[in-house]
Amino acid sequence: MPNVRIKQFVIEEFLPDVPEGDLTEDFDLIENGVIDSLGLLKVIAWIEDEFGVLIEVDEMVPENFSTIGTISAFVERTRELSGSDNLELA
Amino acid sequence: MTSRSMLASFSDHAARRAQATALVWQDERISYSELYEMAARAASELRALDLPRSQPVGLLAEKSPSAIALILGCLMAGHCFVLPSFELASATHEILFERASCSAILSPETGTKVGSMRFATKIIDTRASGTGLARAIEAGDIAVMLTTSGSTGLPKLVPLPMRGIERFMDWACDKFGIGPGKTVLNYAPLNFDLCFLDVWATLKGGGCVALVDRRHATNGTQLLRLLSTADVQVIQAVPMFYRLLIEAAKPSGVRFKGVQHVIFTGDSMPGACLEALPTLFPAAAFYNIYGCTETNDSFIHEADLSSPFAGRVPIGQPLPGVEAAILDENGAVIEGSGVGELVVLTPFQTRGYIGDDLNEGKFLSLIRGGSVQAYFRSGDLVQRHEDGSITLEGRKDFHVKVRGNRVNMQEVERIILDHADVIEGAVVALPDQLAGNRLQASVRRRPRSGLNSLHLFQHCARSLARAAIPSSFTVGDSPLPKTSTGKIDRQQIRQLYLKGEHHA
Repeated sequence: MPNVRIKQFVIEEFLPDVPEGDLTEDFDLIENGVIDSLGLLKVIAWIEDEFGVLIEVDEMVPENFSTIGTISAFVERTRELSGSDNLELA
Repeated sequence: MTSRSMLASFSDHAARRAQATALVWQDERISYSELYEMAARAASELRALDLPRSQPVGLLAEKSPSAIALILGCLMAGHCFVLPSFELASATHEILFERASCSAILSPETGTKVGSMRFATKIIDTRASGTGLARAIEAGDIAVMLTTSGSTGLPKLVPLPMRGIERFMDWACDKFGIGPGKTVLNYAPLNFDLCFLDVWATLKGGGCVALVDRRHATNGTQLLRLLSTADVQVIQAVPMFYRLLIEAAKPSGVRFKGVQHVIFTGDSMPGACLEALPTLFPAAAFYNIYGCTETNDSFIHEADLSSPFAGRVPIGQPLPGVEAAILDENGAVIEGSGVGELVVLTPFQTRGYIGDDLNEGKFLSLIRGGSVQAYFRSGDLVQRHEDGSITLEGRKDFHVKVRGNRVNMQEVERIILDHADVIEGAVVALPDQLAGNRLQASVRRRPRSGLNSLHLFQHCARSLARAAIPSSFTVGDSPLPKTSTGKIDRQQIRQLYLKGEHHA
């Protein structure tokens, strides 16, 4: 499941003092200012590196990245489409 | 009405009401006659030194009864004095004393018993005769020199005339009923202009000053204890005092029914504090006072806290004799509603800093009521609303652009301070290649509250535009760095971030 790694990354990058348990799957990271427009670029670059996917410009919309849950679902979806499952290391 | 001088009134109280308490300090009470004797001894020692009256003496005095007696002694001996913050570096003290042409540096001897009045003297003898400064002192235009907080560079020396100070003290005594039988809490260090109200006006009026010891200034339990034991009727303090007090009073639910006037000043009062005040002080009237060291207090607003309060407390009406105007970005006077810089002219104000080069752009000649007057540029942005009320928006220089949006960092701080678990907070702007600036917040949380940045993001998002939400929060339990006058030192915090050394 990508969501564990995504959560770890978001915490490390944006919320270093927050215990993992405090950040819920549906907490709106964009609405609450945790990820701003520049932060979003960081998240996208990391996802591309981490999961070996390419994110198109028209997919770079806040709705895809607003919560750990939506980011995770977006990554799953993109990986299925690009068939890059095999790139994930066990 | 010409009133008597503070010194004459004080002497009169010492003669007629010798046993009345003048000062409460730690567990001691110092009577008017005791304080008078200490001051008179200081004055006679000072006279024996035979220093030129045309030069000020420098005082290095941390708050204590001896320090107050030394200041009174200077006034009795007819000496102008410079009173910088005690906590400045000694090199800074030296520069300031030299710049003010001090003839000597005096400090109360430490370790002596209250009541014994000795001071250490260091003669420096910077000659100033014949200079404009010496003439101003001789003419009585300068009695006291305070310093600005100096969060940026060397503090500036602010000479103040005794006439103005006397007039201010008379107003304060009248407004807050300060007189025999009344006890006034003094929270600020002695070098703050706030002391003209809570220390000096009280001694002029014949009341009692309950002094907060610097070592207890951030200890809510100690503050609570002093308020209870000293039977205080008037309180003047910065918002941090009230935050500490409210927090410390929670467990016991203690109330101070004897407090009649609660004055907050120096900073915007957080909403959470305003809500809690009427419970803590059920019989008090509440005031927001606005002023600068350069002008002394210039606005006052009596706040009705009986109903839930939304938004900011207005700064209110000008004090008697105070003139004010709001200037737009081009320096034109805004007559109706609008946002701009507040400029003020007060009967208590300085004629300018020591050092001509420092005065450039700080004073502004305005023609009002047919004459040209030098208004002080406060550097504060205010908004005049449709109903004529004026609120403080922040500092002119607290505005930054974040991703192209104009953000007032003080507004952001105010929102952060509204969080119930925040004791102190500061927001600084750090350069960012992409965003121009990014905001970094530094927060001291309530002990054991478990507050973290996730809570603060959520909290800020409820009230602030996206661009105004800080990019990150450093949340910790230690006090934030302070300037010599006890204000949060944003410059230092910023430097620590730039060096990558800031940690909670």
